[in-house]
Amino acid sequence: METSSFSFIIQAAFWGTIALTVAGASIAVFPRNILYNVLGLALALTGIAGLYLFLGSFFIALMQLLIYVGAICIAIVFAIMLSQPLHLEIPPRATPKVAMGLAASAVFFVAAVSLALKTNWLPAAARVSDASLWSVENIGHALLTRYELVFEVISLVLLVAIIGAVVTAGFSRRLSQ
Amino acid sequence: MGSLIADPVLLATVLGTNLPFLSMAAILLFTRSNPSLSGKMSVGAIAAAAVCSIFLLAKLYSASPIQYHTLWLSSDRLNIAFGYYLDPLSLLTLAIVGVVACLVQIYSLGYMAGDPGYSRYYAFQSLFAWAMMNMVIAGSMLQLFVFWEMVGLASYFLIGFYYEKWSASQAGKKAFVMNRVGDVGFFLGLIWLVIGFGNLGIPELNHAASSNALPQSLLTVSALLIFCGVVGKSAQFPLLTWLPDAMEGPTPVSALLHSATMVAAGVYMFSRLFPFFAASPDAMVIALAIGTVTMLLSSTMAMVTYDLKQVWAYSTVSQLGMMVMALAAGGYFAGVFHLTTHAGFKALLFLCSGIFIHEFHTNDMRIIGKQGGRKLKIPLVCMTIGALALSGFPGLSGFFSKEAILGQLATQPSKIWLYAGLLGAVMTAYYSFRLIFHILLPKGGIEEKHHAEHAHSSHEHEEEHHGYIFWAMAIPVMILAGLTLVLGWIEHPLEHFLTSHVVQAHPVQHVAEHAAEHGGGGGWLMITGISAGLLGIFAAWFEYGRKGASRKGFLSYFPAIWKLFDYRWFLDMFYRRSLDTFVYGGLTSLFTKNDRRIIDGGIDGICLLTEGSGRVFSFLQSGMLQYNLLIMVLAAGAAVLYFLY
Amino acid sequence: MNSLPVYLVVSALLFSLGLLGILQRRNLIGMLIAVELLLNSANLNFMAFNRFLTPDPVTGQVIALFVMGLAAAEAAIGLSIILALYRKMHSINIERAQRLKG
Repeated sequence: METSSFSFIIQAAFWGTIALTVAGASIAVFPRNILYNVLGLALALTGIAGLYLFLGSFFIALMQLLIYVGAICIAIVFAIMLSQPLHLEIPPRATPKVAMGLAASAVFFVAAVSLALKTNWLPAAARVSDASLWSVENIGHALLTRYELVFEVISLVLLVAIIGAVVTAGFSRRLSQ
Repeated sequence: MGSLIADPVLLATVLGTNLPFLSMAAILLFTRSNPSLSGKMSVGAIAAAAVCSIFLLAKLYSASPIQYHTLWLSSDRLNIAFGYYLDPLSLLTLAIVGVVACLVQIYSLGYMAGDPGYSRYYAFQSLFAWAMMNMVIAGSMLQLFVFWEMVGLASYFLIGFYYEKWSASQAGKKAFVMNRVGDVGFFLGLIWLVIGFGNLGIPELNHAASSNALPQSLLTVSALLIFCGVVGKSAQFPLLTWLPDAMEGPTPVSALLHSATMVAAGVYMFSRLFPFFAASPDAMVIALAIGTVTMLLSSTMAMVTYDLKQVWAYSTVSQLGMMVMALAAGGYFAGVFHLTTHAGFKALLFLCSGIFIHEFHTNDMRIIGKQGGRKLKIPLVCMTIGALALSGFPGLSGFFSKEAILGQLATQPSKIWLYAGLLGAVMTAYYSFRLIFHILLPKGGIEEKHHAEHAHSSHEHEEEHHGYIFWAMAIPVMILAGLTLVLGWIEHPLEHFLTSHVVQAHPVQHVAEHAAEHGGGGGWLMITGISAGLLGIFAAWFEYGRKGASRKGFLSYFPAIWKLFDYRWFLDMFYRRSLDTFVYGGLTSLFTKNDRRIIDGGIDGICLLTEGSGRVFSFLQSGMLQYNLLIMVLAAGAAVLYFLY
Repeated sequence: MNSLPVYLVVSALLFSLGLLGILQRRNLIGMLIAVELLLNSANLNFMAFNRFLTPDPVTGQVIALFVMGLAAAEAAIGLSIILALYRKMHSINIERAQRLKG
């Protein structure tokens, strides 16, 4: 829908976002320093939020940033800071293990990609190209009518998770004393 | 059953031969703890059996042979019957077995008194009597073989009677194994006969053989194989070393089994199938050679031993060799007659020796002599009578039978057999009287210092002697001595009895002719025989009996020869060596290795395999989360790829 | 190239990276980070399908929300488990946790 020069910038931004995401994921996996990993994760998650924008959902992109980057990454950073794993020694990694891991993920990657590329993706017949369907209002409406169960379940899950986390931490504290 | 009661002959046969079995079963099952009852039961059974056998002998004296049989095994060409065949030979032998067994069991009442295994002894004596009697009247070769084996079994039990003694149990084992070796040949011969002829009945075999219905090759091969059984059972060369060792058993056992009856079973079987054997001249020649070698070899062994029972054991082997010689030379009557007389005087000799052993608790003839053996009058006199009979002294039973044998040997084309027989006679007389003189006139006289104690204890023994133990032992001995004196004079009626009903075959007619010739033209032979015996007696007297004799024996001047005779011509060493190398070194080590390496190793290998593979696979359970995940992912990816491509 | 396969490939790549992290990192928190990557790649997949294939785009977004909520819950519990494990074996090296070794 945009002009060609404008679309070029958008293309470049698209590929830049992807590059950012992949770079962030690499930083999240490869380095030994745990803080690098966390920050790489944050970068990757931000990139994914950008991808969500490209996929047309402003709301989900914001949610991604809010929940993942804002809550989860920060929680992990807290955990790192408070439990002092930085000062614990890590023995050198075994090469066969790394090699096998590489091989396994490579195999899986190849499998997934070939599956993705080989399949003939058919869009649904009743697709409607309506911009109003992407609005936040629509999502909210769906959540409280059609996807009411999802809403309730997720809140229940979150409740259980909180209680569980507190209890587990409390038990282990009592047992180790 | 009705026919059983109605026919007195059959009744007597069945009853006589099977009463000892009932006695054995009763003793083994019920009266083990009651020795005197066991003894009485066994003696009663055998006495009844003896009476039945004499009754049968008397009743069927001039009748033709009777046969009872039922078909036992029947298939295509093969018909095996079990039953009884009562012809003169079997009736005579049945009577011998019955009477001698009865006398020996009465004797054992005295000899075995106080022994802890008394009941067991009588159980096995009954077993033996049953087996031997059934073997004698067996109508088919298979039936004979079955009871032949059982006789061997009874012998094993009785030789190893004092089983706590190592040498006794070893001797039992040796006897059984050697018998078995011979019996392998025997059984092969029977199989050969079954394949070639199809029937194992004794009268049928004899009839077929004498009427030339069987091919010569079949006859010779099966005769030789069956003769293997004779070699094993009657202790011929080379399987003769078990008999001297069998003296480990109680003396009555030696008297009954290993002199009179069991070892005679081989000779008996030979004479049973005499027409069969006689139809194969090759087998007869080989049998003759084996018999001669046996006779000479064992006579030499008897000349150097100081053990009372061993002398008579070697003598038994030697006399059995002589019987085989006689039969193999065609002398049916000579062989059987010698069997009869030998049973009498050899049992006598053993029983007398038993009295000496029981009294002095030693087998050594020198010690017995020194401790006053000659004071026991009855055994000494009876033993002298027996020794005279053995040496062929004129008038006694042994003289007549030996003359018959020598006469038969003289008819052979080659004179070497006759000379061998005469040499054997000299040696027999020599060793018998060597023993007699050792006891009668011991070296240095009877020891005085034992005399006082001995007198004292002998007074006690005198009192005991005049108790039942003494009479239990003395009476059978005296009966046998009397038989020895008398038996020789009934040679001619016996001959008529035995040979008139034998199948008229060429070798037997040969015997009938020579029986006539023997009376007249064999005069010089008789003189030669008598002088051979007297020469032996004189030599023994010269060396042992004279006042001031050296009592060393001429053989002691040749130590190498003494050693050769003493070690039984190294037969035992040969057997030991070959057993050790071939059987123990070869077969048993092979089987042991197989058992350890292959069978055990196989099972162990399965265990190790399971364990090892388990250990190998347990690495999968490393407890490391990431490896598990890895395998999962790999598998999933591989599956997807597989389905895509 | 704003088309479906691109997004699918990107999400596959992210998933593989996350898988690699899980399989070869020994630090428990590092593994947790990799797990977040996994969840995110799945989310991306959902959103991509939502954009290109589904009739009503609200469906994919609700799913994505749901997954995000679950990821948050899972991170919280995961961290408390790591804490408990740390208190037990005084290390966050996963190779130390081999009590199930057989």
